[in-house]
Amino acid sequence: MSTGIKNLVRTLDSVDFLKMDRRTFMKALGAMGAATFLGTYKSDLVSALEFAETKLVWLHGSECTGCSESVLNAGNPDLVQALQKLNVNLAFHETLCAQQGIWNDGKLVNTSELNSEILLEDLYKEGKYFLVVEGSIPNGPDGSGRYLVIGNKTFKETLGEAAKNAIAVIAVGACACWGGITSADSEVAKDTDYRGVAFAKADSKGGMLKELGIDKPVINIPGCPAHPDWVLLTLGAVILGKIKLEDIPSIVDDYGRPMVFFPPDHTVHENCPRRGYYDRGEFDTEVGGEKCLWKLGCKAPYSHADCAIRKWNGSVSMCTQAGGPCIACVEPGFPDTSRPLYVEREDVGVAGTNIDTVAKVAVGAAAVAAGVHAVRRMGKGE
Amino acid sequence: MVNVTVDPLTRIEGHQRISTEVGADGTITDAQSSSLIFRGFERILQNQDPRDAAFLTQRICGVCPLSHGLASTNALDNLYGVAESVPKDALMMRNIFQGLNMVASHATHIYVLFGPDLANPAYKKVLTTLGDTGNAVWKEMVGRFAPISYKMDGVAVPAGSSYLAAIPEKKRLQEMIALIAGRMPGPSSLYPGGYTYPATVADVTKLASYYLQVMDFVSKHTLKVDFNTWIDNTYKASSPQKAVSFVTEHLTDLVNKSTSSNDFSKDAGWGDVEFYAAFGSKYIAETLGLPASLGHDTIGGYKDPSKICFVAYGGYYKYKDGYDPKSPAGDRIFTSGVVSGKLEYQKFDPEKITESTAHSFYQNSVNDLEPAKGETVPLTDPSKIVYTGGSNSQYSWDKAPRYDGIAGEVGPLARMLNIKEPLVTGLAQAFNEKGYSAANVYTRMLARMQETVILAYELLNWVTVDYNPNGKISVPIDLNAAKNNSGMGLWEAPRGALGHWVSAGSDGKVTNYQCIVPGSWLMSPRDSKGIPGPLEQSLIGSKINPVGDVDYTNPVGIFHMGRSYDPCISCAVHTIDLTGKNAPNTLRIL
Repeated sequence: MSTGIKNLVRTLDSVDFLKMDRRTFMKALGAMGAATFLGTYKSDLVSALEFAETKLVWLHGSECTGCSESVLNAGNPDLVQALQKLNVNLAFHETLCAQQGIWNDGKLVNTSELNSEILLEDLYKEGKYFLVVEGSIPNGPDGSGRYLVIGNKTFKETLGEAAKNAIAVIAVGACACWGGITSADSEVAKDTDYRGVAFAKADSKGGMLKELGIDKPVINIPGCPAHPDWVLLTLGAVILGKIKLEDIPSIVDDYGRPMVFFPPDHTVHENCPRRGYYDRGEFDTEVGGEKCLWKLGCKAPYSHADCAIRKWNGSVSMCTQAGGPCIACVEPGFPDTSRPLYVEREDVGVAGTNIDTVAKVAVGAAAVAAGVHAVRRMGKGE
Repeated sequence: MVNVTVDPLTRIEGHQRISTEVGADGTITDAQSSSLIFRGFERILQNQDPRDAAFLTQRICGVCPLSHGLASTNALDNLYGVAESVPKDALMMRNIFQGLNMVASHATHIYVLFGPDLANPAYKKVLTTLGDTGNAVWKEMVGRFAPISYKMDGVAVPAGSSYLAAIPEKKRLQEMIALIAGRMPGPSSLYPGGYTYPATVADVTKLASYYLQVMDFVSKHTLKVDFNTWIDNTYKASSPQKAVSFVTEHLTDLVNKSTSSNDFSKDAGWGDVEFYAAFGSKYIAETLGLPASLGHDTIGGYKDPSKICFVAYGGYYKYKDGYDPKSPAGDRIFTSGVVSGKLEYQKFDPEKITESTAHSFYQNSVNDLEPAKGETVPLTDPSKIVYTGGSNSQYSWDKAPRYDGIAGEVGPLARMLNIKEPLVTGLAQAFNEKGYSAANVYTRMLARMQETVILAYELLNWVTVDYNPNGKISVPIDLNAAKNNSGMGLWEAPRGALGHWVSAGSDGKVTNYQCIVPGSWLMSPRDSKGIPGPLEQSLIGSKINPVGDVDYTNPVGIFHMGRSYDPCISCAVHTIDLTGKNAPNTLRIL
C-alpha cells in the first residue's frame, strides 16, 4: 500500500464512510478499490465486533431474483470475496443455499443441514443476524398475506418472525423498499396490496413492519435492480459497526436511502456521459444515436443516484451510455412515477404527486431546472 | 404411503412446492406442482405506451430479463410494422445480447442451482461403499460442486472448485452484456426497429477478450476435450450416431486411463461435462463398465409418450435485414417446431396453444381457451388458497398451457431436439430404444450443457464475423402505426419457448398484452382433463432416490427432477387477463 493510500486509509478510519459526502467517498473508493476499502475496515475493526462472524439471513418475497443476480455480478469485491473479507456467514439465501423445505406427512424432517425451514427456525431463535429482504410482501387478499405462501407460512408471517429477531433490516431493490413493480397501478393492486418493508410506495406509514407492529431499523437500497456496490458497501459499513444503529437516521434521506449513494442534491443527469450534448442543446429523437436522451424520455434529471459516476457491471457502462433513457428506478413509486418511459416530462418530477413535501420541492426544482434548460438549449440549437 | 413434500424448492427462481405420494419402494405415485406466488402486475401495461413493455416486462424475471425484453421487442417490431426492416446489425446485437444471457443463465443453473445437489450426502452414502472408485467419484463431486455455506455432519464443507470458479465467469458474461446494453440485469437497450447502441470496434475487441477469458474457464473446468474438436464431432457431426460414438469413445479413453489410478480429476481429463456424461447416467456408466452411477437417466422421464411433446418457438435471428415475425421457422438459427413424445417431428402452429385453469387459483368459468381469449380472475378468498387439497383441487397459481391438448416440455432439450442437434438427438434416440424415456434428468442436463457450448460457438461468429460496427442500428418507427394493430413476439428464453402478444387501440395505447412463458409450460398443474403437467408427469413413476436406499427425509431425486427444468416461477405465474367478459381490454402478463 502506498503512503498516499495509507494516509487516506487513516483518514477514512476516523470517518464512517456512509457519512461521507459523495465526492470524498468516490475518491477514496477510486484510490483503493472497494476490496481494499472493505478489507481495511475489517482488519481494524474485527476485534471491536461483538461476534467475530456475522450472520446474514437473506429472504425472498415477491421478486424476480434480479437483485440477487445483480449482487452476484458484484466486482471488487465480488460476493464471495465480500463474505470472506467481512467474515459474513450467509446463513440463508433461497437461491444459493444447499437446503430446501422437506416435509414427511406434514412434518419437517432431516436437519438444518438439508432442511431450510429447520435452519430458519434455528436462526430466528439464535437471533443476532442482519436481515436482507429482496422482493415485496403481499398483504392481500384481505390482509391474509396468502398471495405468497412459502413453506406453509405466508411471507407476511415469515417477515415478521425474521425481522423481530434481526439486528437490523436492509431492504434491497425497489420491491422490498416500497413495492416496486408489484405495487404498480392496476385493477388488482388493491387485492394484492403489496408492501415494501418500511414503505408502501412513498408512504412511510404503509410498510409491512408497521402493519405488523414491529419497530426495527431499516435501510433502503432501491433500484430495479439495486447496484451491487450499494448493497455490499452498506452491508459492510453496518456489519463492521461503522454505522451504529442509532446513527442510521442521520445517514439516510426521507426514504431511508443512504445519502452517499442516493444524494438528495445530485442526480444521474449531472455526470451523464451524454451531458455535453445536453449542454449544447443537442438531442436524439430516434434511438441509436449519441446525443442527449431527454427527448426520448430520459428521467436522469429526477433520479437521485450515483449511477453515472459508479456505472454498472464492473463500471463498463450504464443505461444512458448504452442509449437507453434513465427510468429513475431508484425513486419511490417506480415504475408509475417514471411512465411513460419514452416521453419527456417537464411539468412534473418523476416522483409524481405521491411524495411528501420536502422531496416534492427538491424534485420539482430539478424538473423545472431541467425543463427550462432543455427548452432554452433547444431554442438555441435551432 | 408417505407424503413427501418439498416446500420451498430452493435454488430456483421464485417459490415452488412439490408434493408427492411415495410408496414403500420409493416410487412416486402422485404429484402436484404448485407455484406459490401471485404478483398480479399483469395489468400494468393497459392503457399505457406500448414501448414501455420492453422495459417493464423485463421485471417479470431478473434472471432472464433480456428474453422478456426481446420477446416484447419482437411483438413491438410487429406492432409498429418494422419487423421486416430491422437492420441486420441490430439483429446481431440482439443475438449477442441474448446469447450471452443464455450462456450465463445456463452456467448459473448448472453450477449454482443444480450442481450443489451432486454434493448431497445421499451420494456419499452410496458411493463410499463402492471401494476406491466410489470414494474417488464422491471426492470429485463434493470437491467440484459443493455450494457456499455448506455443512455435512456438522462439519463445514468448502465450496467446490467448479462452483467457485463459475461465479466470476457468470459475472464476466453479465459484464459483456452491460458493455453493449448499459447494465445487467434490467438493461435499457431494446427498442422496436433496432437497438439503442451500436457496439464500437473497441467494444468488439473487448468482447473478444472477455470471450477468451470465459473460454479459459471452459477449458479448465467444463470441457477438457478441445472445444473445436467437440463442436466438429457433435454439433457438426454428420449423424446422431456419429456424435454419440464420438462422445462414448472419448469417455472410454478417459475411463481406460483412469481405471488403475482411480483419478477422475480435471487434470486427468475429466471436465465437468465429461464427468457428468459418464457418471450421470446408469445406462452410459454400464456401457463404459463403470462401477457407479448417479442414475439420473432413471428419473424425471415421461411414462406415457402420448401425453407429452417438446415445443420450441424459435430463437436467434439470421444475419440479414428484417425477419418474419409470424414464421420463426424460416429465419431463426434455432428453429420452431414440435417433437412428439415418440420423437416424431411436427410443424409449430401458435393457434394450437390453449390454457386451462381447472386446477389453478382462479375463478374460472370457461376452460381450454386460446391464450388471447383466456379469462382468469384470481381467488380473493384467503381460505381457498390452500396447497394440500390433492390432485383434484385447485393447487397452483400457474395455469396449464397445452399444445394441441398435450403437455409440452420447453427449454434446451426441446430446442436441441427441434434443431436435430446430433448429440442430444442421438442420446434421446438411444434412450428411447433402450426403453428409457428420451427425456430424463440426465438428457435434460446434457442438452443444457450442449446448448451452452453451441452458443459459445455461435457467439464468436456473431461478434467477430457477422456484426459490422459501421452498420445501421435502427430504423425509425411511426407511433401511429400501432393504432388498432397487434403484434406477436415469439422467442426462446434460457428456460424455453416464450411468447408475447400485444394489441393497441385507436389511441395507440395498449389494450391487451399477454405472455406465455416457459415456466408455465414446465411447472403446470393438471389441465381440465386431469392430465398432469411435464414436471408432474416426470415425477410420477420415478423414485425419490435414483440410487441407494429409500430415504423419505432426503428425497434427492425430487430435488433433481424439480431443478432439472430450471424452474422460473416469477415467469410461470399467469395471472389475470383479459379479454373475458369482466375485463374486455385488460392486460395479462404471466
